[in-house]
Amino acid sequence: MPDGATGQGIGASVLRKEDKRFLNGEGRYVADIARPRMLDAAIVRSPVAHAKNLKVAKPAGAEKRVFTAEDMAADGVQPIHVVSKFPGHKPSDYPHLATDKLRFVGEAVAVCLADTRAGAEDLAAQTEVSFEALPPVVDMLEAADNPPARVHDDWDDNVILDSRFEENVDGLDAAAVSVTRTFRMNRQAVNPLEGAAVLAEWDAREDRLVVYSASQIPHILKNALCECLGLRQNQAHVIAPDVGGGFGYKCVLLPEEIYIPWIAMQVKRPVRWIQDRREHLVAAANAREHHYSVTLHADTDGNFIGVEADIVIDSGAYSVYPHSNILESTMAGRTLHGPYRFSAYKVRSRAVATNKPPIVPYRGVARPGICFAMELAVDAMARELGREPYDLRMQNLVPGEAMPYKTITGGEFDSGDYPEALRRAGALIDLPAMRDRQKQGEADGRLIGVGFGCYIEMTALQTSAAARAGLAAIPGYEQAHVRLTPDGGLEIGVGVQNHGQGMETTLAQVACERFGIDIDMVAVRHGDTATSPYSTGTYASRSMVMAGGAIARTCDVLGEHIRRMGAHLLQCDFDDTGIENACVVGPSGSVTFAEIARVWHRNPEELPVDVDPAGVEVTSGFRPTPDNSPFSYATHACVVAVDPELGQVEILDYVISEDCGTIVNPMIVDGQIIGGALQGVGTALFEESRYDEAGQPLSSTFADYTMPGSTHLPNLRLDHLVTPSPLTEYGVKGLGEGGAIPPPAAIANAVNDALRAYGVEVRETPITPRRVLEKICPVK
Amino acid sequence: MKPAKFEHKRMTSLDDVVKVLGEADGETRVLGGGQSLGPMMNLRLAQPDVVLDLSRVEGLADIEEAGDVLKIGARVTHARIEDVEVPGTTGAYMQFVASGISYRSVRNRGTIGGSVAHSDPAADWPSALLALGGDVIAAGPNGVRTISLDGFTMGPFTTGLGYDEVLTGFELPVLGADARWGYYKVNRKPGEFADAIGAVTIGSAPRAVCGATESAPFRVPEIEEKLAAGAQEISVADVRTVLEGHDAGFDDYELQIHAVALSRAVKRAFA
Amino acid sequence: MTELSIKINGENITADVEPRLSLADFIRDHRRLTGTHLGCEHGVCGACTVLMNGEPVRSCITFAAVADGTEITTIEGFDDDEPMAQLRQAFHENHALQCGYCTPGMLVAARDIVTRLPDADEDRVRLELAGNLCRCTGYVGIVNAILSVLERRRA
Repeated sequence: MPDGATGQGIGASVLRKEDKRFLNGEGRYVADIARPRMLDAAIVRSPVAHAKNLKVAKPAGAEKRVFTAEDMAADGVQPIHVVSKFPGHKPSDYPHLATDKLRFVGEAVAVCLADTRAGAEDLAAQTEVSFEALPPVVDMLEAADNPPARVHDDWDDNVILDSRFEENVDGLDAAAVSVTRTFRMNRQAVNPLEGAAVLAEWDAREDRLVVYSASQIPHILKNALCECLGLRQNQAHVIAPDVGGGFGYKCVLLPEEIYIPWIAMQVKRPVRWIQDRREHLVAAANAREHHYSVTLHADTDGNFIGVEADIVIDSGAYSVYPHSNILESTMAGRTLHGPYRFSAYKVRSRAVATNKPPIVPYRGVARPGICFAMELAVDAMARELGREPYDLRMQNLVPGEAMPYKTITGGEFDSGDYPEALRRAGALIDLPAMRDRQKQGEADGRLIGVGFGCYIEMTALQTSAAARAGLAAIPGYEQAHVRLTPDGGLEIGVGVQNHGQGMETTLAQVACERFGIDIDMVAVRHGDTATSPYSTGTYASRSMVMAGGAIARTCDVLGEHIRRMGAHLLQCDFDDTGIENACVVGPSGSVTFAEIARVWHRNPEELPVDVDPAGVEVTSGFRPTPDNSPFSYATHACVVAVDPELGQVEILDYVISEDCGTIVNPMIVDGQIIGGALQGVGTALFEESRYDEAGQPLSSTFADYTMPGSTHLPNLRLDHLVTPSPLTEYGVKGLGEGGAIPPPAAIANAVNDALRAYGVEVRETPITPRRVLEKICPVK
Repeated sequence: MKPAKFEHKRMTSLDDVVKVLGEADGETRVLGGGQSLGPMMNLRLAQPDVVLDLSRVEGLADIEEAGDVLKIGARVTHARIEDVEVPGTTGAYMQFVASGISYRSVRNRGTIGGSVAHSDPAADWPSALLALGGDVIAAGPNGVRTISLDGFTMGPFTTGLGYDEVLTGFELPVLGADARWGYYKVNRKPGEFADAIGAVTIGSAPRAVCGATESAPFRVPEIEEKLAAGAQEISVADVRTVLEGHDAGFDDYELQIHAVALSRAVKRAFA
Repeated sequence: MTELSIKINGENITADVEPRLSLADFIRDHRRLTGTHLGCEHGVCGACTVLMNGEPVRSCITFAAVADGTEITTIEGFDDDEPMAQLRQAFHENHALQCGYCTPGMLVAARDIVTRLPDADEDRVRLELAGNLCRCTGYVGIVNAILSVLERRRA
């Protein structure tokens, strides 16, 4: 295959094609689209966490502008149903609008329309909601073991799914040293800067529903619309235009994405709903709430033997489509082992229902939580054994020679050198120098600590693994359309959706690598179900592996057609041709793609008689064979300074040694890692969606919910290992989520290292000053 | 998040403002820079019937040094104070305080008078000005009134202004060239509202303030006495002991951070 | 309704607006200049930042009616502005944007930094950016872009 000679192929830090419109304020997000006679919607939301006998009184005179679940049911709208194959998974359909019961503060109850959002909010304020309050289920541990109420009346408890992952349990008895800890990661919100947004109308000319949504999964949304609204698939068209960040919040169906389009069909006008920040912080406080009780077992030499754990995950009131509410709990149970070797495993993982918003798979999904639990347990074990945490890790990480490595729970790491990433991170952070610095003390009285966080990340979840895991949403082959345009350029359609990852550039780079074509001659289109191939969308760090692989394969098929025509034009044998620099090259000459395109499109009389009628517009697909997942991994290391008087934590240095296989665009890879890392810092130190005992959210504005900002993470130092995956085109692996996974672990370990003299450990995120001080100087 | 409906009145004179405030039968609010009221109205936490827009009222944005008094108009923005438009040592103190308020684009609109009249418990100016001393100038139906900053801020969103009065400016002491001051704000991100404030000025006499309490900022006489006796450093433990004696409703964490804030404010004053 | 006379990107505009209409919504929905974005509507995230009489302000907590008589410059109004052109190029070269939602407000704030604080160092730049949230980039590219423009302008 050809080598990209244009400097725009694999490995080039090509500047982004998509930048221009954003720099000029010409991006087109859902809220930027105005349709004639458009109405704005405001949602009446539940003011209580748990109640029954819901009654809605529409404001007098405005009944035609207010919609409830009753109205939807009368019109035959179907519920959305999410089922996994896990035995014992109790279903909890997520109502579009609340029916008899209210199950979390912020749950949508009624929709009000007006010419302006302000007018719709006026109507919402006049809509009376009455109910009988019920005891709220707020704490997940109470919900599991001693609940004040049941979130779902037809269940006998609040456990959505109780799953166990056990292997060689007897082996745990061989352990000579054990440490037990409990850890908690508190609830937070995802907070993309653009919230959710939906604009819908019925297009009479095309006889179909058109829905613009800030979605990562347009085709999946289309499926849900058709199922719920009783439409044929050819009666729906979903467009995700520019999307202002998703991070997993937008890869699940929102009720608004069903009821706003339904309402648009009722009123026969375009209807728009733009989520505001308070709505997001209240009704979408839906990520990361985990509790771990972990025991790590080792021999006296520090070799890990096994891990035991009881994991509880607060999964909120309902199951989201398509991933369901057990994605996170089963992932946690199955992969708590992380990058370490274990021979015994006994993990119970329960997804629990509470009166809080339904859990969504936020960047990293279960992995920030399991990394936090495991990495803090490792440090605790190191302290128990009197060992350097770095050394204990080095001793127990799966070594490069063991690849491919079968994990204790039946997964398979494809490639990688985990100890090397740790070694490099240790060198970059200069562990010996940090130990010296700690001995000297700081002039300002602050305490210095060093911490590590190692993780592995299965990327691009594949068909067999998803099916084996009993998951509700199963990805398949990924396709790409590639078309040679009359001027010799390429138009590429992909089913994944770009919302910041630079795919309009990086996916084009794959074509540039295959053909040596100039990147300006390549356009990548996405986000529109009418023009893109079916795809489960952008999530699970899959896009470069899958869509990149699909483009590579499709270019191969198209390339063959082009070569045949080229060979004919060059009057030589097909086998004597190759493709270089967007030309077909033969033994005694070459012909450009532009020339071949001219022949196909304008002068077919010059074509070979046996030319493939499918011509220059090709669809093909990709999936790894066998369909295993490539695994990315990294070690993060950080140095913190803890102010023992105020409890504040400052990050002084942060390094990452990571491996995501072959790097397509180094600039963009770094951007993904750094962005993810700051989100991880947010989880570690700042972000928390707090609730009171009545289940009332206390963090409803950015005054109460602190987002990580420009001063919280100094310039990172990044180091890259490249172990190409044997499974993928060019050896790429996914990487979009990785940066967000280990910061809570690395930072907590650094804080605990700083606090060693006190003999205390922080075990909860976010590590707020209050929590630090409560450890350092507990109230007598 | 859009506000509820209200009537917008463009005012052109202070007399008219006072008149309208006095005659109002619904809730009437004066709009300063709108940086505090704006978010509250967007959240519908404030739903005034009438908003008085003072953009066109002259004479409220002057800065004037008159002998040993600094006169600062209510509509002087935080940005102007940040840009050292207030002279001398008082100006340097105020510049430091102003530069920590929110963000530049908010400081370009937010005003010192608006901040003090609004009286958010975590705001900077109520605490910072209490530590400076001086007076609030208010215009009401009976003319102009001088109200001491001591006790002006009474609690969350509650001040000594009458419902029919407008805060028009401040008269603040001119600190001498060798006067000392220290301001320490505890928060987790630049510009955020404070979790705790410690403020001291040592001009003609020491003034020490514990601010960003759940209620009003308060002076701490015991600290002022120590400063008057020549102390240049007061330990966190000592400040804690003093603050414990005040009925500020602090839990242990809040006591600690307020003690640290005041201790470090003293340290800064002598740095 | 209140009468409004305002200049936006050099164009004089008169309109009758509801008192409660924000400047941001006036710009976006009435003038269809959608480059200014709404991220929080309480003045914290900075996505709505525009220039009013040459200084950055939060258009989400400014009532349009109160902006009467002012000159507003939105992200669409910097075509002939040298600092903005330098910043746009620097943002592009330093990968200072991903999803693009914070970018217009970030550029207006960045322009204020490079024009008002020509000697700013990295710490100062980071401090001045505290009022602009970016969820995607982690700020490194943004800071590098601004520092490169500061250096360029000092040369």
